[in-house]
Amino acid sequence: MSHMVENRRLGRIAALVLLGVAVAYGIGGATIEYAFSSDPLGPRAMPVMLAAVLAGLSFLYLAWPGSVEAIPTGPALVRILAIPTILVLSVMLFEPLGFAGSIFVLTFGVAMIFGAPVKYALLGAAGQTLLWWTVFAYVLQVYLPTGSLFG
Amino acid sequence: MNLDYLWQGFGVALTAQNLLIGFIGCFIGTLVGALPAIGPINGIALLMPIAYTMGLPAESTMILLAAVYCGAEYGGRISSILLNVPGDAGAVMTAMDGYPMAKQGRAGEALALSGIASFVGGIIGVIGLAFFAPLLSGLAIGFGPAEYFVLMIFAFATLGSMVGSQPVKTLIGCTLGLMLATVGLDATSGAYRFTFNEPELGDGIEFVVLVIGLFSVSEAMIILEHQGRGMTVVRDLGRMTARMSDVVKSMGATLRGSLIGFVVGVLPGTGASVSSAVSYTTEKRISDREGTFGKGDVRGLASPEAANNATAAGAFVPMLTLGVPGSGTTAVMLGALMLYNIQPGPMLLVERPEVVGGLIASLFVGNFILLALNLPLVNIFARVLTVPNWLLVPGILVLSVIGVYSTHASVFSIFLMLGIGFAGWMLRKAGFDMAPIILGFVLGKVMEVNLRNALAISGGDPSILFESAISITLWVMALAVAVLPFLLSRRQKALLLKPTETVEDSHQ
Repeated sequence: MSHMVENRRLGRIAALVLLGVAVAYGIGGATIEYAFSSDPLGPRAMPVMLAAVLAGLSFLYLAWPGSVEAIPTGPALVRILAIPTILVLSVMLFEPLGFAGSIFVLTFGVAMIFGAPVKYALLGAAGQTLLWWTVFAYVLQVYLPTGSLFG
Repeated sequence: MNLDYLWQGFGVALTAQNLLIGFIGCFIGTLVGALPAIGPINGIALLMPIAYTMGLPAESTMILLAAVYCGAEYGGRISSILLNVPGDAGAVMTAMDGYPMAKQGRAGEALALSGIASFVGGIIGVIGLAFFAPLLSGLAIGFGPAEYFVLMIFAFATLGSMVGSQPVKTLIGCTLGLMLATVGLDATSGAYRFTFNEPELGDGIEFVVLVIGLFSVSEAMIILEHQGRGMTVVRDLGRMTARMSDVVKSMGATLRGSLIGFVVGVLPGTGASVSSAVSYTTEKRISDREGTFGKGDVRGLASPEAANNATAAGAFVPMLTLGVPGSGTTAVMLGALMLYNIQPGPMLLVERPEVVGGLIASLFVGNFILLALNLPLVNIFARVLTVPNWLLVPGILVLSVIGVYSTHASVFSIFLMLGIGFAGWMLRKAGFDMAPIILGFVLGKVMEVNLRNALAISGGDPSILFESAISITLWVMALAVAVLPFLLSRRQKALLLKPTETVEDSHQ
């Protein structure tokens, strides 16, 4: 029962966040600057209408939050957040290390997050890097950066 | 009826290159569908930018993506039957009787029978598509901007009332998609909207970035979260062919499922999850006299499987003729057409018959390829279920990064994809479906342009939206699909409550 109450609370928080998005979007839409428009509505009308619709729906959602899956906490949350973190890290390495280096970091990191033993994670990362590099750079001729560190 | 476009289409689909592309698409699609982690939308989202970057012509790209879509509908049944975990939303009902059959040692029979049902559903769906597309296209030529705007309203109303158990969340998803579509330069006024002075947002949020972020990145996080929840693969497949008696017994259910699937697929905004549920419950009502549904009845297996494959073809009807996707997956394919600067709608059949005809013909050919692939090779496809997540998920993420980078060669786009992926994960946790967001996004610009054009024609008078017979019909239909399910559920609740009330009354 307390789990249900907690989930409803989370649903209401989500509804309030969406209401906040609607308000911010509506204000942003109402203050769009433009010199002219060849139609009677102009560029502001659609955003303002959508903001009003989202606000209305958010109120309905607030009243009937329905089922919401609980947000994981503790180590489970850390593991989940590690995925976007490792993605950000590998993208930051994209230009200095090149595609191959950053993809190795990405595949190794994600394999570790998913609980692969280090040896398998290393082998998997090396294999995937080689596979994807061959497929895209050589077979499909897609331009991929080689990395500034490696010229 | 003029079916010249179809013969032209067979000319396109039967070239050696397109046959090979179709075969590769069917193979990849079946693999993608078999994996519980990735559904047809993910597969198409990952392949779309790669096909575009390879410089494939529009018709070949559509053939590839359509083959992946149909292949995934076939493949979805494999994990449903062997794992009791649907490969995609359309295969949920397949598990109801497929998994019990597998537990009885009849997994091979269930896979073969559902393969045949998928084939029948797919072929009936394609025949329906070939005949209905020109008819609807001919009707829609009379649509002006006002009618188009109301058509979009009808699509959202259908979506809100039929998809998911929480219509408010579905409509919020659509609205968020519509809002995301307003980002970028407004062509009419030259104003920049919601770009936050970031030049890379000037052209708006790229479709590939949004779709890969919402589906692939957030999916990786969901897979991690669900990792370790017990799944047992049925490994003893038993006899690998369907019994003729079972084929005959289930034929009625297969045909009924195919028809239901096609009709539901044609409705804008609905998809295989709805059609398979409707066909299963209908079949249960018609045929389940012995109470065997849910315990391994072949009719309960064949009906939803035929329906979800017929839906895949039916969903192309509104997409190709009206520019309104019939499902989340066709919404992504509509975005793929836009990458080629092709605007789907009633004129598409006239202006690009090779694209429409080639797509329909390839679906027809594709179903034969899929039957040939799925009956003898199902054992091999079943092995894909043993690929560990630590190998699979990094692969999905690499394809996501390459997909976005190869289309835009921009690190900003990859960061944007990650941000959208994170937001998608949060929304999924809150019980939101991602498909309505995509639907809102692809329809957003067209909807706004048509509304503004309609009001420009009328000099700002909104009554233009209610003037023509087509508009009025569409408004009435939108109102009906929005209100009817609510009224019906209230009536059902009232009927269920009646006996209780009588008992209470008697006590008073």
